[in-house]
Amino acid sequence: MYLEVNGITVLYDRAMVLNDVSFHVDKGELVSLVGPNGAGKSTLLRALAGLIRWEKDTLKGTTLGKITLEGSVLFGGEEMMRLPSHDIAKRGLILCPERGRPFREMTVLENLEAGAYLVKDKGVVKETIDRVYGLFPVLDKRRGQVSGTLSGGERTMLSIARALMSQARFLLIDEPSVGLAPLVKEDLFSRINQVHGMGITILLSEQDIGFAFDLATRNYVMSRGKVIAEGRADDLLADELIRKTYLGL
Amino acid sequence: MIDYIRWVYQWFKGEILAIPGRVIAVVFFTFLLLLPLITTSPSTLRFLIMACIFAIFAASWDLLAVTGQVSLGHALFFGSAGYTAALINIHFGLPAWITIPLGGLSAVVVGLLAGIPALRLRGFYLSLVTLAYPVILTGIIFVFPDFFGGEMGLIGISRLSGSRVGDYYTVVLIMAFSGFIMWKLSDAGSKVLRTGVVFHAIREDEIAARNSGINTVRYKLMAYAFSGFFGGVAGGLYIHFIRIAGPSSLEVFFSVQALLWAVFGGMGTIYGAIVGVFILFPLTEYLRIYEWGEALRFVIVSLVLIFILLFMPEGISVWVLDKIEIRCRRCKVVNIATRRNCRTCRAPLRLEREK
Repeated sequence: MYLEVNGITVLYDRAMVLNDVSFHVDKGELVSLVGPNGAGKSTLLRALAGLIRWEKDTLKGTTLGKITLEGSVLFGGEEMMRLPSHDIAKRGLILCPERGRPFREMTVLENLEAGAYLVKDKGVVKETIDRVYGLFPVLDKRRGQVSGTLSGGERTMLSIARALMSQARFLLIDEPSVGLAPLVKEDLFSRINQVHGMGITILLSEQDIGFAFDLATRNYVMSRGKVIAEGRADDLLADELIRKTYLGL
Repeated sequence: MIDYIRWVYQWFKGEILAIPGRVIAVVFFTFLLLLPLITTSPSTLRFLIMACIFAIFAASWDLLAVTGQVSLGHALFFGSAGYTAALINIHFGLPAWITIPLGGLSAVVVGLLAGIPALRLRGFYLSLVTLAYPVILTGIIFVFPDFFGGEMGLIGISRLSGSRVGDYYTVVLIMAFSGFIMWKLSDAGSKVLRTGVVFHAIREDEIAARNSGINTVRYKLMAYAFSGFFGGVAGGLYIHFIRIAGPSSLEVFFSVQALLWAVFGGMGTIYGAIVGVFILFPLTEYLRIYEWGEALRFVIVSLVLIFILLFMPEGISVWVLDKIEIRCRRCKVVNIATRRNCRTCRAPLRLEREK
């Protein structure tokens, strides 16, 4: 197993956000996490990327800093929970945050260069930039534009492109389709498929069930901080209880 | 009559005894009131009088900080009110209980003028502008040395009251009263005043506050006016106590000290500023006793400040309250941390984790 998550629990003070979550992702898979608002999808991805630990450390001693974080995350056989987030990124496990979060006052090209911070070889950087532009022609057109002026879809693409720049092997994409128009969504859909085709393992969280189920090879359904079901799209949709209660279809 | 006493007792039990933070405040205030029974040594009293005056000053700085405006020139209010009170006292012979409020009012006017740039500037830019205010005032004072006393300052100011103990009680009572008013003005949970909620909203997000129909211009100026008034009262008390109004109270370092005290105690809480003064000021003064302390005291105090803030980033009072108080999740009532159930709604205060 490529990524193995065992019993992750996250509490913000007395509020339980993740309750003993366990799952796994194999190499080359495209797995989706679906579930309603507040199910803990984003927190789970942030925990995998080491951001909850970072949050816990930086807020230590404040009233907001009472965060409990337990469990284990094995990535390629190595324990990730004890690593700081920049070291997790070094291993190739990269988070694309919700709504892209580009460095807003930098141009698209500068964003990509910042993403390539981990790559020392300038030739490789140049090569990757060309490859990324091939994958997202929109970004090529906008290369000199300040990224704060990009549209929502372009921002999401930029964040995926930025993750690819750091030679990602495993992408965690948080709600890629949030707030996008249907046509843009379709475009993004095929881009993510292409990225997956390049041999990159992807775990994405999503609220749009259609988008997630069409894209993913396997799905996890989350609710109130727990993984409550797992399976292929057809199996999940066949289950009356899951379909009605959690997917709202 | 019996009913009335019972009502007072019930109120005291529910509103004071049940909330650890308020118990500490009441005990501390009672201690200050009873202290002259134990000792009337002039040096101890002098030192506590100074602490009380600086507590008002730091709290008034904090009142402005509640609205998210970090002032680096708060000595402006202290100094301008001090000079106003001194001039009125010297030229018209009015007693302290008139000159101090007048000094406060003059600081309100100064505060409203100082608040005008704040309507356009935010964050660091505002702080930089406020840094210039006391410097401007110092300049004005040196231009008219005959009127303002120049470098030497104004002398011949009347006493605050007849005796040291009288001075002490005046200052302690004013400190408690103005501290209470400022706390209420900035308390977002107050049921009587809305200013607390409004100030907090402006600090969190000014655009959202405007969209909620809050006239942020009015409330920011209001914050300047209140902050100026109480800062001015502190300034007036100060000059009547040390009986000299000089330019030393306008120094940049004095403004920064207000910030240090308030941040150390807990920024944006008012009581935090008072706690900060009563911890840091005695420490600074105590070190003076030693020969090496005179030179090193600010180094030592700064190190204490840095280490405390490293472990308690929100300030010492917030950290302590967080340890001894726990807020009920259902009814938002504050409970002592040792309770297992909320004192009013009986809801469990801590949740056992479900396995």
